[in-house]
Formats: sequence, structure tokens, C-alpha cells
Amino acid sequence: MLSLVLRGFVQRKLRVLLTAIAIALGVALMAGTYVLTDTINHSFAGIFQTANKGNDVVVSPTEALGSQTRSQTSPVTEAMLSQVRSTPGVAEATGAIFTPATFLDTQRKRLTTGGAPAFVASEVPARFESFKPIKGRLPAGPDEVAIDQATAERAGLKLGQRMIVAGSAVAKQYTIAGIVEFGGGESFGGAGAAVLIPTEAQRVVGEPGRYDEIDVAADPGVTADQLRARLRAILPQTVAVRTGAQQASKDTSNLEENLSFLRTFLLIFAYVALVVGAFIIFNTFSITVAQRTREFGLLRTLGASRNQIMRSVVIEGLLLGVGGSVLGLLGGIALAPGLDQLFKAFGADLPDSGTVLETRTIVVSLLVGTIVTVLAGLPPALRATRVPPMAAMGEGVEIEPRVLTGVGVLIRGLLAAAVAFVIAALIGSGAVFAVLFVVLAVYVTRLLVRLVRGGRPARHRIVPGLARVIGVLVAWRGITGRLARENSIRQPGRTLITAAALTVGLALVAFVAVLADGTKATIDRAVSRSFAGDLIVENSQAGNQQGIPALVAPAVRRVPGVASVTPIAFTQGRLRGSSGNATIAAIDPRSFEQVYRIEWKHGSNATLLGLGDTGTVVTKGYASSHHLKVGKTISLLTPSNQQVSLKVLGIISDNVRLLGDITISLPLARTAFGQREDALDFVSYAPGAGTAQVQPAVDRLLARSFPQARSRTAAQFKQDQANQINTLLALIYVLLALSVIVSLFGIVNTLILSIYERTRELGMMRAIGTSRRQVRQMIRYESVITALIGGVFGLVIGVVGAVVVTSLTLSSSEYVQSIPVGTLAILLVVAALAGLLAAQLPARRAARLDMLQALASE
Amino acid sequence: MDLPPGENGSEALVEARTLSRRYGEGEAAVDALSDVTVGFPSSRFAAIMGPSGSGKSTLMHILAGLDRPTSGSVRLDGAELTTMNDRDLTEMRRDRIGFIFQTFNLLPVLNAEENILLPLSIAGRKPDREWFDRLIDTVGIRDRLSHRPAELSGGQQQRVAVARALVSRPAVVFADEPSGNLDSKASGDVLDLLRHAVDDFGQTVVMVTHDAHAASYADRLLVLADGRIVHDGESVTADQALDLMKAVG
Repeated sequence: MLSLVLRGFVQRKLRVLLTAIAIALGVALMAGTYVLTDTINHSFAGIFQTANKGNDVVVSPTEALGSQTRSQTSPVTEAMLSQVRSTPGVAEATGAIFTPATFLDTQRKRLTTGGAPAFVASEVPARFESFKPIKGRLPAGPDEVAIDQATAERAGLKLGQRMIVAGSAVAKQYTIAGIVEFGGGESFGGAGAAVLIPTEAQRVVGEPGRYDEIDVAADPGVTADQLRARLRAILPQTVAVRTGAQQASKDTSNLEENLSFLRTFLLIFAYVALVVGAFIIFNTFSITVAQRTREFGLLRTLGASRNQIMRSVVIEGLLLGVGGSVLGLLGGIALAPGLDQLFKAFGADLPDSGTVLETRTIVVSLLVGTIVTVLAGLPPALRATRVPPMAAMGEGVEIEPRVLTGVGVLIRGLLAAAVAFVIAALIGSGAVFAVLFVVLAVYVTRLLVRLVRGGRPARHRIVPGLARVIGVLVAWRGITGRLARENSIRQPGRTLITAAALTVGLALVAFVAVLADGTKATIDRAVSRSFAGDLIVENSQAGNQQGIPALVAPAVRRVPGVASVTPIAFTQGRLRGSSGNATIAAIDPRSFEQVYRIEWKHGSNATLLGLGDTGTVVTKGYASSHHLKVGKTISLLTPSNQQVSLKVLGIISDNVRLLGDITISLPLARTAFGQREDALDFVSYAPGAGTAQVQPAVDRLLARSFPQARSRTAAQFKQDQANQINTLLALIYVLLALSVIVSLFGIVNTLILSIYERTRELGMMRAIGTSRRQVRQMIRYESVITALIGGVFGLVIGVVGAVVVTSLTLSSSEYVQSIPVGTLAILLVVAALAGLLAAQLPARRAARLDMLQALASE
Repeated sequence: MDLPPGENGSEALVEARTLSRRYGEGEAAVDALSDVTVGFPSSRFAAIMGPSGSGKSTLMHILAGLDRPTSGSVRLDGAELTTMNDRDLTEMRRDRIGFIFQTFNLLPVLNAEENILLPLSIAGRKPDREWFDRLIDTVGIRDRLSHRPAELSGGQQQRVAVARALVSRPAVVFADEPSGNLDSKASGDVLDLLRHAVDDFGQTVVMVTHDAHAASYADRLLVLADGRIVHDGESVTADQALDLMKAVG
């Protein structure tokens, strides 16, 4: 049997290759994701090891709310450093700064591009220093800086030139005294670093007298563990004390935690592509089984058992699965750098040195690819076993679909559910589970529909109907259009599954597009409704959640024509008894109402004045989900590890989603939450002043003193928000494009198989004078119709899905439904073009058909 | 009107000169046709017979522009086929040639009327309604026009195919074993139709067959053996044709 299968493969090289690619693409994205994230993790692990190599013990702030939420005010003080230094067994200790900041050239142009972070590092004694000068030297005074090699090269900066570092203080120009490299020369990722002398670093980041951590070296004879224990005993709980090795692995695991989001995000797209691939495997196998009815009948006549027939088809699936998975794995290794480039293009620069291929990547990729292929090929294999020996005798023996009974549906449903569950458990990912659930739901629905209709699937009405409507588009092209339409509905089931592969991808695209459009509309309305000011000041890379110095607000207030400026900061806190973090907005109670219209459920603008250090206002949604009422006192854990008690003074409607779950006063955020920076400043003009005069004045101030910030009018702000969503949308589109490409292979496959079945017809048509062009046209139109059927289904499912999901989950937040009609129309055009593209190869094959052979073929 | 090969060639509607067709190369080469010269005058019904492998199908394919000869020339209605490119050849088949196949070869997705009109649809031409009406009455399928091939008997399908071959008023109709897949009643109907087309419409018909009875409907009988014409004469009875075939073995 195996040799029969292999011989079949050789005879059908092209189809085998196309089918294998259908599965390989999904596997490639999966393997590529693992390789990329493993490589990034590995690179960072190296960086953290180098950074901690001179440290026996590291004292750093306790992360009360998890590694993602750090207090902006460090508990590590000069006093603490003195205390460490005077501890027996400490050979040397130093305070170190390593804080995000912004680098600019003297023209106020950012030196790091995209989302790559930049850090201010303080110079530390030689044994702790991770940066080594390769040109010049480390900074010697408050006006000197040493920058990393990559940044210098990218920006073309040389020794002696000047650059700006903007942190929490007023931006300042420094002379470049040195170009440094990190540790043993490893890539420092895409990140930039500027080394300043310690006091200057403290001043720039706005923490005079404080450090981000203390690096400690032990006396000879004292082990790191011993010293760690000693320091732990004397230092307060606001800091964590770890050995250098512990710190490195803690940093690494923090990073892996951050990256796991990226991994899951990418894997979802890989699994979508695999599901689409499964459709194609299923369809291809179904068609080939149908075409080989005679062959199976003959084998049965010659005494082959049902089992042997089934095995031959399953083995075919197995070989295809293994082959496709290997192809995909190799593709994935090649794809990983491409994914990295993709993220760079979308503004996330991640370090990667070398390629890390873990055993897990190989095992999971091969296993998932093979299992998906075999499972998808199973139903056609079962169908092949029902070919009667009689089929060897004549043509066109129809394999009767088994009449389903209620019990049959139940058994099949349970079986499918069990398979789905086992796969999900094996892979252990929520994303897989979700995808499987959807597939399962579709499958069970189909079975039920079949049951209700007495075995006649609904597609026998929907597909021809749809094809007829779409066929109108090509009908004007005369007979080729007409024949294309008829051919596309000849086998409605086949057309439907071919189209369904495209449907999956397009439905997701449509879903995301509708969601994004609604989100944009919601933001738009929220800003229009709630923002009563004239100007918003924000970080010019606000998308990366960077803030602006608290100094900006008072400075802007002095600009002529500005009546008031109210800063808003965001932080987080954890409600006692709750495991998740609540988002907290901090406002200036006196000036906030002048620029912002709050929709009160309980309370009024006067309530804000009572916030002080003990009051809070919560949103309606948060109040109801946490059973909060006006008058109740809540206890919050802050990022700087303090407990604060706040009395709920009012409840507001949260349709704007600007204010977060909980709103407190800004002074409280500065003290108890350690929040140094602001997120936004809302500016309103004095009577008679207009944007034309005030905005340029504000911009001049920002360029001079705070070049990392920019001012936006409400319209510009809305546009920025929309642009951010569009960027994310574009990334998702690119990743979903893979699924669409996979489905194109399905269309190619189905067309080739259909053309093979219609060899005689095509031969006759050529004989009676159909030109090659007309033949190509006919195949192309058929492909376009199939693609458009998939497209229409996809759009309908995507749009309906998005509307249903948003109305179910976001009904309380006054989400604005908005259907991006233009985008959806473009999607249909894209689907049609995709169909056209998929038809190229089959159309050419059909046109090149040898007429005489075609007419002779039985 | 006996036309010896090569003579009166200028009057022939379809004319082949010194046709040879060789398949394969070197030792394994097979000569399907060797130096065949033959002409088919207008408004006549010719039958080509011969045993399997005699070259009768090859001759028809070359005459109809479906295949190219290794050497020699074919003129059809004044045009030289052997030097035409694929596009011109396709147009030639579309506009000047009609085909009838053994296996009917109707498109299953089109109904009878659409199948008949297919050559015109391909050419993008409007049908001549009067001619179409006359045609479907002649072939007798007026009440079946809206049926698809799967709903028609073999005889009905072949009659549809005959109408399809005639609908564009081609210069010549080539029929490849038109009765091969039919029972004797249906077979007689179809051959009567071809005879009728020649007599009443002035249609030129060239038919390849191995059925002596079918050949007896023609005006002229050609017999091929081993790629050469071994007999060319007036029509004969079925029995005479059988004897001829036995003679060439």
C-alpha cells in the first residue's frame, strides 16, 4: 500500500506540493514565532547576564503590583546606599540609574526610531560597569555623555558632537565624550543607551538623591548568598535584595512574561492559517477520493479490505502532513528574521542575535502540522471505505451520504469534541482552544442542519444562489462568464469548502476592521463630547505609553494666551481582595472641570474638590463589578508598596474611558503612588486667544525645553488615536494575509482538480473554436466567483460577528457601532483579485491542454 | 462524380496534398499518414473507413485543424491550415468547421438550446433565429430545448450535437464516429440527419466511421489502411463496404 501511495505522489507532484504548502505556511508561522521569541529571550538573557556580571548582590525596588507596573519614584535612596556600604562584607557598593528617556539630535529629531526604547544609565565604578568605551571615554562632567555604538552609527554622531537627552527635567545638550559598547559586544537589542555621570543622571530622570538599584560587590571570603542575607535583614521591605544571578534570571523571566503576549498573538495567526490549511487538505482529499472511486472499487474487487483502503488514504495524509510540516519548519526558521523585520516596520524593535532553535519548536511544529493534516484527511478516508466494489465497473458511482440519525449526530459531535479537547490539552493554549471551539461549533451546526433537512445540506441552495448573483458580474462577458458561473455551482459542496478557506481569513479581517472602526468612532465621539479644552500636550510617541515631565504643565501655563492647564497622570493600584490591577487616573481637582465634561451618576463637579488624599471617584462599570457604593471605603495597594484607604465620593459614567477605573487627586498619586510623570496636559485658551497664535507658542516652548512632547488639537488628537489603531490594524492584516494566501493554494488546487475532471469538455470547446484566451478567461471567472463567495460569506460572518460581540460585551460603555463600508468594499475587490491570482496557473494549464488527448481521454 | 485523388483539386472545398504524419522519432517512429492526397468537394457526404490504426482519425484531425501534419498541406475553403497560427486556426474551427463527436461532448451545465448556440456564443455572434428554428425542427428537439444533457437520451444528445455543428453554417462538418455510441434506431436518425443536411442544406460532411452501415449513407467512400488511401469510390451498400474492409484486413 505504501508503495502505491508513493507512486501516486510522484504522479501528482504539483498537487502534492500545493497541498503540502497549504499546511506548511501555517506551520512556518508557528515555527517562526517560536524561533523569534526564543531568540529574543535568549538575547535578553545574555544582556541581563552581562549587566549583572559584576554584581554579587543587587538591591532594587519591590514590584508590589508585578513587573509591569513599577513605581516611578524609587525607594532606593542615598541613605540606603550609605547603609549598604557600612554593612560588613561589602567591598564596594554603588547606586545606579537605568531609566527610559528620549534622545534627540540638536535639530530635535529623535535618535531612536520606531518603538525602540532609550535609557539613561549612570556611570558606575569599573567592576560594575557594563558599558565599555570603544572610542573616547566615559563622561567626566555634567555636560558630557557617552552613547552606545548602534545609536551613534544610526544617527551618524561622532565624538565632540552634541545631542539632547530629555527625561523628567528640562532637556539639555551634552557633548559626546565617548562611544560605548555593551558588555562583550553583544547587541543591546534595538535599545539606545546614554551614560551620564551619576548626579547628572539623577537630575535628568528627576530623581535627585535616588537610584534605580544598588549594585554590591562582596569582600573576598563572603559569598553572594551570605551578603544577600545580611542586607535583607537590615533593608526595608520596599526593596528586594537578590544575588546577581537571581537578578539576571528575574529580569529574564520578567521579559519572557512580557514577550509571551507577543508569542500568543503570533500563534493565533498561525493556528488560523492551520485551520484554513485543514480546509484545503479536507477538500483536496475529498476531491481526489471522488476521482479515484474507480481505483478504490478495483482494489476492493481485487480483495482489498475497507481497512486497507482507509489506511492508504490516511498514510497519504500522514506523509503529506510530515512533508508539509518539515517544509514549514524550515520555512519558519527562515521566516523568523522576517517577522522581526515586520515588527520593526511597525515600530517594535526587538533584539535578536543568532537563531535559537529549541527542540520544543521542532517537536510542536511537526506534531501540530501532521496531526492537523491527518485529521483533515480522515473524513475523506472514511468516505473512501464506502466505495463499493461495483464502482470498478462503471463511471460516476455516487457514494451515498449516510443518512444521519439523532444518535449519529450526537456520537459524531461528542467524538469531534473529544478530539478537539485532546488537541487543545496537548498544545495547551487558549488560542487553539478558541479556534477549535469555532470549528467544532460550525461542524455541529452543519450536522444538525443536515439532520433537519434529511441529509440535504443547505449549501445546495445557498451556494448556487450566491453564485448566480455574483455571476451577474461576469455574465456580461458572454459565454465564458456564463460557463464559469455554471461550473462554479456544479459541485456546490466543493465550491463552498474552497471558498470557506478564504472565508476564515476574510471573516477575521472584516471582524477586526469593524471593531477598529467602531473603536475609532467611539474615541472620536468621546473626545468630542468630553474634551472641553483647546489643546492636548502629550509625548510625541504617546503610543508607546511614554509620559511627559510634570514640569510641562507649569511651563505651558506661562505661555501667553493659555488660561489653564490641567495635567492627567495614569497609574495602577490593586484593590484589596482583588487579584488584578485597576487603572487609576490622577487629576488636578481644581482645574479639571474646566477642560473636561464628566457625566456623573452620583455626585457633581464639586465632588472633585473633596478628593484630597482620602477620596476617590469610580466608574460605573468598576463600581458594579466590584460592588462599590458611594460612601464605601476601599483599600488600594500602590506601585510603591503602600496601602491607601479611599472613600468613594462619586460614580461617573465611563463612556470616555479616559479616566480609568478609579480617579484620585494628582498630589496623592505623586506621593503614595510614586507617579512622577504626567500622561497628558489639557490646555484651554484665554478668551480671545486662538489656536493660530497659542499652539505655535506652546510648540516653541516644547521644542526648547521638552522636545519629547508635542501639542495636539482635539482633531489632531483624534487622528493620532486613529493612526495608532490603523497601525495595529495593518499589522493584523499582514498576519491574516498568510491565511488568505493559504486559501489561495486551496483555490488553485480545486481548480486544477476540476479542470482535470473536465478535460474532455475543454477539449471539445477548443475543438469547436474556443480560443485559449477564452478558456483562460473562463477559469479565471470561475475562480473569481469562488473567491467572491468566500468573500461575501467572510464579510457577513465578520461583520455580524463583530456587531454581536461588541453589543454583548461593550453594551454598557456606549460603544459606537461603525461599519467601514469602504474597507469592506476593498476587501471584496481584494478577494476577487486573489481569485484572479489563484487562477493564473490553472488557467494556463487549461489553455495549454492538448486537444486530441483531451478528446481521446475517457 | 468520382474524383481521383489530386485531380480537380481546385474545385475541392477541403483539399489535402501529400499529407504525412509521423508520431515519435527514430526507431519507434510510426507513420500514421503517408503521402495522402485527397479532395472533398462542396455539398457532398464522404465517409472514411479503415481498421484501427489505419490513420483515418489522424487524417480527419489534420483536415479539421486539430492536428498538424509532419509534411504536406491542407486547404480548407481557400485557406491554408498548415501554416496558420493557433489563433487563426481556432477562429477557423469556430467559424468554418463543425464537429460531431462519438461521445456527443455536450456541456452538462448548459441546456440543449445553449449547447446548440455554443459556437455562436463563443464567437460572440447573435444567432440567426430563422436558421435556428429550421435547424431544431429538422433535428426534432424543439420540445427538449430547455433540458440539460443529463435529461436527454443518447440519440437526443447526438441530435443536439448535430444542430450545434450546423448552427454556424460551417463550410464543412467533420463527424467522428457519430453513431458509435448509439443504438441502431438512434444511429439511423442521426445519419439521416447528416444525409439531410447534405441534400437539403448543401452542407459538406466528412465522416470517419468503422461502421459499414453508417458508411452506406455517404456519397463517397474512402478506405484507409496503414496511412494510405486504398480505396476511393462512389458510395456502396453496407455489405459491399464490409467486403472492402475485409479486403484491407
